[in-house]
Amino acid sequence: MLSLLLIILAATFFTGIIIRTKSVASGRKGPGVFQPVKDVIRLFKKGAVYSETTSFVFRLAPTIYFASVFVAMLVVPFGQSKGIISFNGDFIFFAYILGIGKFFSIIGAMDTGNSFEGMGASREALYSMFAEPAFFILMGSLALLTGFTSFQEIFSALHLGSSISYALAVMAAFVFLMIAMIENSRMPLDDPKTHLELTMVHEVMILDNSGFDLGLIFTAGYLKFAIYGAIIFNLFSGTIAYQYAIPMFFGMQAFLAFVVGMIESFMARFRMNHNAQFIVVLSSVSLLIFFGALLVSGKFI
Amino acid sequence: MIELINSSWIIAFFAMVAIYFVPAKMKAHTAALAVVANAIVTGWLAISALTGHVVSFVFYGGNLFGDVLVRVDELSAWFLLIINFTCLTGVFYGSGYLKTSDSSPKKLNLHWILFVLFQLSMLWVCMVQHGLVFLIIWEVMSLSSVLLVIFDHNNPKIIKAGISYLVQMHISIVFLTIGFIWLYFQTGSFSFDAFTGYFGSNSNVGLFLVLFIGFGLKAGFIPLHSGLLQGDPAAPSHIAGIMSGVLVKLGIYGIFRVASYLSSDYLLLGEIILSVSVATGLFGILNAAVHRNLKKMLAYCTIENIGTIGIGIGIGLIGLGNNTPVLYYLGFGGALMHVLNHSLFKSLLFFSAGSVAQQAHTSDMEKLGGLIKKMPRTGMVFLIAAIGICGLPPFNGFISEFLIYSGLIEGVKIHDTNEMILFSVSLAGLSVIGGLSILTFTKSFGTVFLGTARKQLPVEPHEVSLQMLIPQYAIIALMISVAIFPGFYLQVIGNVIMSLTKGVIIPQPAGFTNYISILQNISNYSILFICIVGIFWGIRYKLLSARSKVIQPTWGCAYAAPTSKIQYTGKSFSKTLSKMFNFIVIERKQYTELKAGEIFPEERKHASHYHDFFEFRFIHVITNQLVYAANYFKFIQNGRIQSYVLYGIVFILTIFILTAFNIII
Repeated sequence: MLSLLLIILAATFFTGIIIRTKSVASGRKGPGVFQPVKDVIRLFKKGAVYSETTSFVFRLAPTIYFASVFVAMLVVPFGQSKGIISFNGDFIFFAYILGIGKFFSIIGAMDTGNSFEGMGASREALYSMFAEPAFFILMGSLALLTGFTSFQEIFSALHLGSSISYALAVMAAFVFLMIAMIENSRMPLDDPKTHLELTMVHEVMILDNSGFDLGLIFTAGYLKFAIYGAIIFNLFSGTIAYQYAIPMFFGMQAFLAFVVGMIESFMARFRMNHNAQFIVVLSSVSLLIFFGALLVSGKFI
Repeated sequence: MIELINSSWIIAFFAMVAIYFVPAKMKAHTAALAVVANAIVTGWLAISALTGHVVSFVFYGGNLFGDVLVRVDELSAWFLLIINFTCLTGVFYGSGYLKTSDSSPKKLNLHWILFVLFQLSMLWVCMVQHGLVFLIIWEVMSLSSVLLVIFDHNNPKIIKAGISYLVQMHISIVFLTIGFIWLYFQTGSFSFDAFTGYFGSNSNVGLFLVLFIGFGLKAGFIPLHSGLLQGDPAAPSHIAGIMSGVLVKLGIYGIFRVASYLSSDYLLLGEIILSVSVATGLFGILNAAVHRNLKKMLAYCTIENIGTIGIGIGIGLIGLGNNTPVLYYLGFGGALMHVLNHSLFKSLLFFSAGSVAQQAHTSDMEKLGGLIKKMPRTGMVFLIAAIGICGLPPFNGFISEFLIYSGLIEGVKIHDTNEMILFSVSLAGLSVIGGLSILTFTKSFGTVFLGTARKQLPVEPHEVSLQMLIPQYAIIALMISVAIFPGFYLQVIGNVIMSLTKGVIIPQPAGFTNYISILQNISNYSILFICIVGIFWGIRYKLLSARSKVIQPTWGCAYAAPTSKIQYTGKSFSKTLSKMFNFIVIERKQYTELKAGEIFPEERKHASHYHDFFEFRFIHVITNQLVYAANYFKFIQNGRIQSYVLYGIVFILTIFILTAFNIII
């Protein structure tokens, strides 16, 4: 329950900080930190424009996408306190419930019959497919390291005693951050600020969405960032008491948002055909974590 | 109870005679009646077996067969129920499907008689436990399925596919025959119980692998999958649904049956099956993602699912080898659950693809589009089946995928480095399979049902008849029941698995019974998910109902004259993927290059096809060599009767002389 509240709070400023960082880095003052939330509220007040090509799938898709992110949020724990949904193997549920959202956002884009939206949908499907093994190998190695199979138990048993497990946590944080970037279609893979449909991934999929639906999609995006931020925080939180953990949580989220902003300011987007290689690199990092976990648990050598 | 078993074939026999004599309109109804009667009889047997009353009897089959054991135990029961359900929906869907085709009564005669025989033989394959009789029934099953596949026998392509399928199925029988003869020579008995003795005192690897190849050819493990690819796309949709839904599962049944007699070498065999299965799954889904023919895509997807089931079997065997009952239960449980789930959504997909093919007269995705407006119910059915087969919650596919994932994750915790690495690689493989299924099915659903029509179809498609839709709704109902009450199904499966091992009973570990409650929780969370969707949909509806709604053309990115040809095609949707894996997914293009002086090129054609890696690189190479060598012996087959008579005489003389000199006895 606590995690739900904290993630929603973090989601309100996460994207704002990214945008602010980017503005400052490029020498502008930039909008306020809560501007994205205001944008969404404005969208929620608007009417709707639909394409004549679309069917009920297009109208249903944003709601299901949002609901899937919402349910995934319920799975994420906060330190010692469980998420609302917690059971052995809940991270499989987490990945697959996000999957159903992705499924619908893809077919929603294809429903418009627009060539670019189909293109974006195809890329989204491909990239998220490549991110999947990294996530599962990573969670598998954490399960191996701790002997547990649910988010909360894994994170609370992840004692950062030896120096090698710090290295593991840092690498895991890197993998999670990159998965978050892929899931949200951010910089190294996709430039959300591009104005050319040919080079868009996620942005082009939602070209035809408007009003309430678009607001839902944006909100889901903000939540997704905060969800992954919370997971990364959990890697380090261990058994810290709440009065320290909660400020740390917000600090960490703000820091991650800053990092994302810096990456987006100082990096160019990869060439499309290099994206797949980049994502495979993520799986390799996950494999490194796996071998590290083998080392720590003394099963290797 | 024994009367029930016998009444099964008596019903089928009378029905087959009756179908011949009743008027053309009644043939489908008669067949349906027989299928229903047979389903009730064998379903009754199956349910009584699952509740603890295993029925078995022995009949004397003459000198040749000896005592033939017929037994309906828990494993048979699970498969009997699945076969019966799919055959039931198949026969009702099929009678609607064939109504619109103007087939002669002769064709229908043969079709429905074979259908009854097909169901009967599949049922008996699961009940007979005697090698020789098993082979005969297996052969009847293969032959009836081949003849059902070539329903449309005026089409030379279908005949060709049918013959290819026939050949592949017989390679399977060759391996099975070798296996059972091996058993006979070692133990002197054809009964399945002889496996216990053989496996108890000999190495388990050889015989099991021979039988695994035989059954694997039926199931479609790579590189033995090409029979499946020939049969399913050529068959009429209701037959394809049954073949993909349950016929291939009989290969899995065989593997389970033989595996239940194993007594050593679990680890090695489990590792082999696990590795082959991961490769099978990846290969299947990768090919499914690129193919543009809906039925071919579904056939490849079946291969992928066989891979997923195989992963479960592999985990189970490794669990047996490692003395970790949790793995054994999770692996086999996941596999058996996936057998059920896949039979449901795959038959559903074939049925709805059949509805599309019936209305649009093509299965080529690139010629379709926007069908959801013309066939909303079929579109909905396809969508539900697609979500199911991607293993996404809230439908049933997730239940079995979750079990198999849990098996792999429990496996990662085993204290053995080899297995840990194998399990974590399989984990990655399974997650890629999951991701690619999403790509495959969003592509298929999106191209066929969404957007606008890509080509003007010869006949405007309409929604199919209620007779075809009701069986599909029935399948959806069962899918939802699995999704809502997974605990119940897992309990039944738990009992099946407990009775599987002969002699030593492995009790259900606490870890496994935990999973029953976890699955129940998952279904609650899935319902929660649906509720949340409902809540936000309600809010959205309430807010938007008072506001302006504008319907406009799709935003064409500032292009003012959009046509339906502008849509992204299915091929381009998966093009990036196929490029990335071009060493497995082989693409061949046919076109003429522009010549140097050609300034104003004329209209020209461009064709591209995806080839199956194993067919293209291995099977075709071998068969081409064979044909080349066989050409030298053409003179034997010269078409003159005189020569043939001469061959006969020479043969008889040789035999006579050899016997006279005691060279052969």
